[in-house]
Amino acid sequence: MAATAKPAVQDEVTYMRPVSNCAGCGDTKVSWSVLEGMRRYNRERKLKGKDRYEVVYVADRGCGNLQGWHDYRIVDTIFFMGSGVIIGEGIKESCSDKQVVITASGDGGYNFNLNAIKIAGKNKKWGAINVIYNNFVIRMTGGQIPLETDFDKEGVSLGYEEVIHVNPFHVNDNAELFKNLIDRYLKKQKVMVVADGVCVLDMTRDARAEGVTMGHFAKTAECLDLKFSQEKERMAREEPEKLKDLPRFKCRQCGIGLRCHALLNNDPSICQACGACKQFPCVTDCLAFEGLSFADSISIDQLKTMSKT
Amino acid sequence: MKKEAVIDLGKTRISGNHSIVWGGLEAGVRVTTAYPGAPISELQGTYEQLAGNLRRDNVFSQKVGEALDKAGYQLTAHWGQTTNEPNAVGMALGATICKGDSKEREFLTEEEWNLVWGDTVFGKEDKKRIPVGSRVMTSFKHLGGNTAADALRTAMNVIPYVGGLGIASGDDRQATSSQTQQDNKVLFAMHYRMPVLELHSPVVANRTVRNCYRLFEELGTPFGVIMNYNLAYREVTVDLTLNLDLEANGRQKSFKKDPQFLVTIGPHIRPREAKWLARLLPMIRKKIKENYEFLGSEVVQYGSKPKTMLVVLGPFREDFRMVGHDEALRRRLESKFGDVVAVAGDVVFPQPEELYTELVSKHPIEQILVFEEGYTRVVYLQLLDMVNRLGLNVKVLDRTIPYEPRIYDRFSYIDHILAA
Repeated sequence: MAATAKPAVQDEVTYMRPVSNCAGCGDTKVSWSVLEGMRRYNRERKLKGKDRYEVVYVADRGCGNLQGWHDYRIVDTIFFMGSGVIIGEGIKESCSDKQVVITASGDGGYNFNLNAIKIAGKNKKWGAINVIYNNFVIRMTGGQIPLETDFDKEGVSLGYEEVIHVNPFHVNDNAELFKNLIDRYLKKQKVMVVADGVCVLDMTRDARAEGVTMGHFAKTAECLDLKFSQEKERMAREEPEKLKDLPRFKCRQCGIGLRCHALLNNDPSICQACGACKQFPCVTDCLAFEGLSFADSISIDQLKTMSKT
Repeated sequence: MKKEAVIDLGKTRISGNHSIVWGGLEAGVRVTTAYPGAPISELQGTYEQLAGNLRRDNVFSQKVGEALDKAGYQLTAHWGQTTNEPNAVGMALGATICKGDSKEREFLTEEEWNLVWGDTVFGKEDKKRIPVGSRVMTSFKHLGGNTAADALRTAMNVIPYVGGLGIASGDDRQATSSQTQQDNKVLFAMHYRMPVLELHSPVVANRTVRNCYRLFEELGTPFGVIMNYNLAYREVTVDLTLNLDLEANGRQKSFKKDPQFLVTIGPHIRPREAKWLARLLPMIRKKIKENYEFLGSEVVQYGSKPKTMLVVLGPFREDFRMVGHDEALRRRLESKFGDVVAVAGDVVFPQPEELYTELVSKHPIEQILVFEEGYTRVVYLQLLDMVNRLGLNVKVLDRTIPYEPRIYDRFSYIDHILAA
């Protein structure tokens, strides 16, 4: 009997997952604002080349940061749970003067390692911009009854000069805010930015339960095609079966910039009505929004009143 | 800035903790973090004094502090801020991963450089220089090894940018001033798979620490140094000469983006971990063998045809040095074992297997007796595994003491060896 070959032992393969954060995820909108804020800071001061400042985006574990990384590379480090702020403090010790360390964690990470938040708040050597994605504690992980976290009182007692609450879907206003905060960071001031209500799935569900109909984005025909028109024509002649794989849009900058796969796929049915795209600086003015969005308000009561009027 | 400064501070009394501080300063350590606890508090306490955060209240910190101030030495110490061990290690990790500078290769061949640095963001560097940044030291007592596990686990296996991080653990193996006994050798070696050394004497610990920074920084891995309770506190008089590496201390600062390794998600971790175990760890083992004496270890032979090999670590090693100076002890050793070869090493993990196989093939060794302190028998188990795996015709015998004797026990390590 012929000897059978022993199968080679193979290590388990862990595959890269596709982007799976929600189309309107507030976390990624905030990170866009942070990076846009830095761009505006440099542009305003006409800083070029080696004079430019750069963001080091030090993130904690959490769905927004983890998923946000996969296709868009919006974060620079993610280590263990609760580590974002403390790793950031370490990086401040060894990074260049032209690097601005911005730390981001969820409210779970905030409570997990409150010590680190305090260390950053009390460290007189450096400034601090600490972004908290507040989905009211562990909503995403099963809807447990949350602890009450009073960022306004806690932030000040932890050493932060100001606690600023933002609607994450006001991407343009937030970019302006971060531009100013970078200036304050360089003056060694400490600010906590709390992005409230970032779980868009939760908000959409609540709005629906209250009878509020949310809107969706719309694109003009001009946007739909055709960066790849010549290639498309060639394919239509020679390889029509591959047509479906071609990108359909002119630039896709809005989808890439805001990390929104509803925009990327031009599919309003998966739009979560965050409204960030309303403020996106589309170069050809192709973007519009029809109806109510969470950029109008993240309060369901207010949205309800607005929908009646 | 000058690259080196040699400062003679004359005869000074120093403790084991001071000796580690001394070694760190000679390596150019710029950032230190810690969570205090007996017996290691004094280590970071001294750094705090040297950094100007606390009053310099002893001769060592006064003399050294003045010398550092004159040399323009940069030192930041975070003790009051780091409220627990994970945060101490986390901050140290953040400070270590910034590689804004580079240096010439000292220990690695081109091929080995490719293995360590080839797939990182620095992989296209033509001259194959070593990416470097701040050298960092973090310290905690033995129990900190448990609470900081998450951070330590991340520092190992996953990130290639943690060379230049030294982790000092003060082991209170008899729970003299702790809630529980613990031997951190097993945590560092078997759980984290981190190169770890047990320092054996305050007189020479500084040299070992300094050289660990030089070697392991190139290998892209942190290293651990452990001292037991007695050695951490014991004071000795030494000729205190500071040989400061000011080039390492004044390195350029910058954070280089490399999410492939700095964003620790499954698809990034798994290949790195597999590579660590299959290729990097054997290479580190080889480099330890090549630089065994450089790391403060030595092989001593008594007689021409040794049939017994003694492996002595930590306090056993410190006492065993007396054999070289005391004829009576030398005769007792000979009458007990005949000719012997002694491996007097600080290295706990990974053991340099090649060194043992060389010695076994060169001499008619029949038995290896392992003398180490602590209940985990890390070195004994490694040697036992090596002998079984390689099919060596040698017995490995465990002569460990599973605890650290208290001072009033009047325990003699050398008598324990000679009575084995």
